[in-house]
Amino acid sequence: MIQDKAQWLEEASKKIKVPKELIEKAFKDELDGNPSLDAPLEIPDIMDITYKYTYGGISRFFREIRDNKQLYGTKCTQCGKVWLPPRINCNECYTPTQWVKLGGTAEIATYTIVYYGTSVFFGKTPYVCAFVKVAGADTLIMQNVFMEDVKKARVGMKLTIQFKEHRNGDMGDFWFVPAQEEL
Amino acid sequence: MNKVGIVGVGTTSFKARWLEKTYYELAYDAAKLALEDAGIDKKEVGGVVYGIYNEFFERQFMPDVYIHNYIGMGLKPSVRVATGGATGGAAVFVGWTWIASGLYDIVMVLGVEKATDNYNYTVGHSTPETLKAILFSGDMTFENPMGLTAAASYALPLIAHINKYGTPTEKQMAMVSVKNHKNAMNNPIAQSPKLLTVDDVLNSKMITYPFKFYDNCLYSEGASAIILASEKVAKALSDNPAWITGVGLSLDKAFAGERDDITIFTSSLYAGRDAYKMSGIKNPRKELDFAELHDAFTGAEILSYEAFNFCKPGDGGKLIEDGVVEMTGDLPVSPSGGLIGCGHAVGATGVMQTGEAALQVQGRAEKRQVKNARVGLVQSIGGPATAWTAAMIVERQDKIKGKGVKGARVKAKVKSARRKR
Repeated sequence: MIQDKAQWLEEASKKIKVPKELIEKAFKDELDGNPSLDAPLEIPDIMDITYKYTYGGISRFFREIRDNKQLYGTKCTQCGKVWLPPRINCNECYTPTQWVKLGGTAEIATYTIVYYGTSVFFGKTPYVCAFVKVAGADTLIMQNVFMEDVKKARVGMKLTIQFKEHRNGDMGDFWFVPAQEEL
Repeated sequence: MNKVGIVGVGTTSFKARWLEKTYYELAYDAAKLALEDAGIDKKEVGGVVYGIYNEFFERQFMPDVYIHNYIGMGLKPSVRVATGGATGGAAVFVGWTWIASGLYDIVMVLGVEKATDNYNYTVGHSTPETLKAILFSGDMTFENPMGLTAAASYALPLIAHINKYGTPTEKQMAMVSVKNHKNAMNNPIAQSPKLLTVDDVLNSKMITYPFKFYDNCLYSEGASAIILASEKVAKALSDNPAWITGVGLSLDKAFAGERDDITIFTSSLYAGRDAYKMSGIKNPRKELDFAELHDAFTGAEILSYEAFNFCKPGDGGKLIEDGVVEMTGDLPVSPSGGLIGCGHAVGATGVMQTGEAALQVQGRAEKRQVKNARVGLVQSIGGPATAWTAAMIVERQDKIKGKGVKGARVKAKVKSARRKR
């Protein structure tokens, strides 16, 4: 039996970064019951790790979005294919690419509507997750398309880019919305 | 290449939570069952291939090394395979190469997964955290932040397919769910045996458009092992072994936005083509007696009928409507109940399906036995937007020309199968 429940909850909460009340609820049987020595014993645990992650060769992609509200792709110097997401090397020609400015219009190539997301997306469902064809790019990029009625999403829907007000240098800095003509 | 037989099969129950077992305890149970089924001692195993998908599920990186120790295989060759949902199938593929190459005579393929030790304290159950653990498999820069989920990963190609062909319809998908839940009623290890109606499926809660609750497989915990053997050992151990006569493995572009065609399961098309070619199958619709497909979501099963050339692209839905893929049809799909009915204990799933196929062709599948099952297809899908497929053809021995072994079971006198040095 747990000897000092308050102490146990205090330490558990600190360890897994979850409020004590929620842990208490989840471990009610272990805390208040009288489980046998052989009953399965569960413990609160967490695996986490922090990063200072480098974007390497595509750093400019995120700087252009963050600092200039400008979307860039990369163009293969040999075959001319325009990549978005960008890559600094073409995997077909094995040659370097160069940065090309892209406009803010796009179209839904395929999509889905997520009604049940991960714990990171609590309160954000339902949302549209789509593969989007940005004008000027030869590949599709995954992005969210925000609209009031998610059921109106469809393949071929015309889109416009929107940038977040306070940008951090990640894919959450922009998204798409239905173009004027779709409204 | 040497012939590869399946001489032992062992699978634990697939269930929502194995509270009373850790992942290595489950692995032990499956290993023991498979060794007993093969009638061999663990000493005779030449090496082990592990199929374990997700480090965050197991709360452990390199979980295979602890299993290898726990099941008493220390110092034998071992490698772990992790290819997302296709982990089990790809582990069988690697085990197959160990025998086919002549390197070892007996190889264990062991898949295991504990998916629901993850726990979300806010909602009081595991799912949101399990989904989060899976989503670390989406590209962390370009896809994970967009809220892609496993279901969304299948829905994206499916919606593109529906947009192009008009099928599968939501009703056709619901029929797959009804079939697989029903098939699971014949499977003693299944997690979700249920008699449902099409309306039950259509009226269940929307999870990820167009998948409703019953269109989805559930997270399962469990373990499955098979024992693979070279021809001479397989024939010494059994007068009725199953044979893996064809294998295929394909990994499509993980950034699905770079693919030429996002409306079909191209990796399944390629893996299937290779497996068919190796085992000499020209008309799968006629030559296959059954298939264990990767029905992580109902629509995925229908797109897989098309990728494996049971029918033309766009016609998959008709196969369920016409009853072809039902137990009473002429190409039953997922007699085990598949991922939807039996469960999806990720690393164990493809191993379980391969074991099921072996039991079918050996006539040992009990209540779920397909009559006169001689040739079956196994499919294991994984990765973003179905990037990975492993495919296997499992056959009965008398199908292999001129090699039928009759007579009494040869007393197993298998010397240590470890490679002679």
